[in-house]
Amino acid sequence: MSDTRDVKRTQVADVDRSIYDFVKSEEGYERYADGLTPEIVRSISEKKSEPQWMLDLRLEALEVFHERQMAPNWGPSIAGLDMDHISTYVSPKTKQARDWDDVPKDIKDTFERLGIPQAERDSLAGVGAQYDSEIVYHNMREEVAKYGVVYTTIEDALQDPKWEPVVHEYFGKLIPMRDHKFAALHYAVWSGGSFVYVPEGVTVEYPLQSYFRLNAQGAGQFEHTLIIVEPGADLHFIEGCSAPKYYEANLHAGAVELYVKDHARLRYSTIENWSKNMYNLNTKRAKVGADSKMEWVSGSFGSHVSYLYPTTILQGDRSSCEFTGITFAGATQDLDTGCKVVLNGRDTTASVETKSISKDGGVNTFRSSVVVGKHADNARATVSCQSLMLDNISRSDTIPAMDVRNPTASVGHEATIGRISDDTILYLMSRGCSEAEARTMVVNGFANPVSKELPLEYAVEMNNLIKLEMEGAIG
Amino acid sequence: MADDNATLGAAVADEPRKVTLSHVNTPPAETWNYLRANDITLTVPAISRKGDVYFALPQLFGRIECGMGDKVTEWVTSQAADATYVEVPRNTVRTEPVVVDVDADAGQVADTGVMIREGAEATVVVVAHGGGSEAATSAALTRIVCEKRTRLHLFEVLALPDAETHLESVGIVADDDATIEVRQYLLGGATQAVGLAADLAGDRARINLQTRYLGRGTDVLDINHVVRQRGENSRAHVDESGVLADAAHKSLRATIDLVHGAKGAKGDEAETVLVTGDDVVNKTMPVILCDEDDVQGNHGATIGSIGGEQLQYLRDRGLSEEEANDLFVRALFDDAVISSPTASARRAVLDRAAAVLGQEVALDLAEGLELECADTEGEA
Repeated sequence: MSDTRDVKRTQVADVDRSIYDFVKSEEGYERYADGLTPEIVRSISEKKSEPQWMLDLRLEALEVFHERQMAPNWGPSIAGLDMDHISTYVSPKTKQARDWDDVPKDIKDTFERLGIPQAERDSLAGVGAQYDSEIVYHNMREEVAKYGVVYTTIEDALQDPKWEPVVHEYFGKLIPMRDHKFAALHYAVWSGGSFVYVPEGVTVEYPLQSYFRLNAQGAGQFEHTLIIVEPGADLHFIEGCSAPKYYEANLHAGAVELYVKDHARLRYSTIENWSKNMYNLNTKRAKVGADSKMEWVSGSFGSHVSYLYPTTILQGDRSSCEFTGITFAGATQDLDTGCKVVLNGRDTTASVETKSISKDGGVNTFRSSVVVGKHADNARATVSCQSLMLDNISRSDTIPAMDVRNPTASVGHEATIGRISDDTILYLMSRGCSEAEARTMVVNGFANPVSKELPLEYAVEMNNLIKLEMEGAIG
Repeated sequence: MADDNATLGAAVADEPRKVTLSHVNTPPAETWNYLRANDITLTVPAISRKGDVYFALPQLFGRIECGMGDKVTEWVTSQAADATYVEVPRNTVRTEPVVVDVDADAGQVADTGVMIREGAEATVVVVAHGGGSEAATSAALTRIVCEKRTRLHLFEVLALPDAETHLESVGIVADDDATIEVRQYLLGGATQAVGLAADLAGDRARINLQTRYLGRGTDVLDINHVVRQRGENSRAHVDESGVLADAAHKSLRATIDLVHGAKGAKGDEAETVLVTGDDVVNKTMPVILCDEDDVQGNHGATIGSIGGEQLQYLRDRGLSEEEANDLFVRALFDDAVISSPTASARRAVLDRAAAVLGQEVALDLAEGLELECADTEGEA
């Protein structure tokens, strides 16, 4: 082998993240002071002309945030996160647009580089684009709107007499502010996100997508997504996120509340590619009605530290949940991800299949809980977790928990941890692949159960992300 | 140490002779606290031994990680009278088992250290038994050092009456090529708190840990198994199974820790649970920690009841669901009796079988297996 190859095998190069890793100037942006005070919270609320109940909720949440302590026995450290050095609100000086031509040039350029307008034209029913703390673009196809589908911001919904009571009824109910410290933080300073309402019996043929871009340095993004899928309705919602890398901590503490009513279906797909200075402390939860289905597809590639455990509450009889996820932890990353399922209804089923890949000293922790309630007769749950170690400086932990309180329930769990076998690499190399190609091929195959669940464009993006990550991984 | 509330927990109001041991049986990696699966809190008696001088184990035993954690180790060492130290000489096979006999009715607390020298083989038997109806708390702390090329057979049986509580904490360190066989039978008691930590420090060290348990009534069963695989090509096989009836409450935490440098290590862990009671609470946490790439770790858990087809099969042969469930319980006692290496262990199992399944079944077990219950074992 040449020297070049030797270098590639022993050095871990920085991944080329130029697609995501570019910075736009914040000049002229409105940026609130770092830290967290009642004045800041009031300012955010006032800026959005919110109803009193929302301001009250924010102020109560702020108190809860200050009261609550982090559990001392939790996973990755977030000691590097200093709220006194995080601005909770940064906004470009622009109004929300319904046409990309009305979006300021540098912001439009950002989203074009990320491929969002093209994706909208090709395959989406609607797009929302958030830049720092505010949505800068929101649009939905006419043919979708005419069926009564609503896809807007929470802020706009709150200003609409028709939707304000709906937001009031559902907002903050599935993820209460006392859920954990960062849920409280979220409710104190939330800004942006999406409100989606799919009327009874409506199937949205194409996905809706929200893309979240955090451009500002030392800032937080706290978007709130509220989706209501009425009985018999069907929706696929895609969420993407990215940020440029800084040497200062950024924070993402969003919340996603999903209501899937009876006989309905919701697929929620996420490709998360935050930069590696990001603390991604996001909370997602779905409540599922009778004969309904919740599907999660989750790809986690970025962030410095992640706490991410989408939760599904199978409340209705015969409701079901599928969770398919992959987490890729590289250098400097400590990603604590997984999912939670609560089976309360009768004849409910849950299927969890996750993959994790650790390399270059990255730490992956898969954490799950399956809770079967006392009345969940004939509940069925299976959890499968596979972890791949690409070197001996990385780490991969699997921490599942099961709590079963119904004698007729059947719960299975299996997990494996290992590395790519030398025989496999040798076999592929004997057929003409380089070692790097062979390893990338194996990792892509390992990730295939996740990528096949994504729309083609996103599967390609995920495979590209894996390829990018793998370029620096051979050693 | 037991009186040191700052270390062991706050004294219970109005009961100054008890202490609360919190965060006991904690695994190396924890889950969400709200699931209440990370540990157990125990209230135990605190006898003051201030001013007394007792035999203590050599200090090296103090460095052994034990399954229930340091607080239980401190409490046991403060409560037990003389610690018992047994050394098995190099390259010998000790034919008489080392027996730790705990009279649970009397609230006995045993502190035992066993040193198995290089190339030696020994059997250690821990039996906690009783027949009383009063609440009592007993404990056994057993720490074992296995030097190179040793073989250890550890047999533990907890056969306690329904009102009694027992703390069973074990710590084992294994050097190169040591082989450890562990069989645990947890057959009842108001609270059975069991922790075992095995440090496979040596290359090619291996452990085969099998646990069989029964929870019924309102029994609380709390188990913490930790296997640290540090040696290259070490092997761990952990197999837990049991039956939970009525309103039994079980928490099992089983951790395989593949430590950095343990190249070629393989660890697997599996649990199978049969749930027959409507009010059972069954918590399981099978954990794999992996800090090395050249390893294999697997775990699996299956929780369920007898399937519809299986039940129909049994019904066709004249068995009701209750009888079918009893068969599984009887099988557990069968296994315990057959595996018991000493007469006292067998007697404890049979006494417990009589209490759970009835005298007739116990006699049937004994006669069917043509067992002798004569005292043949040596005491530690």
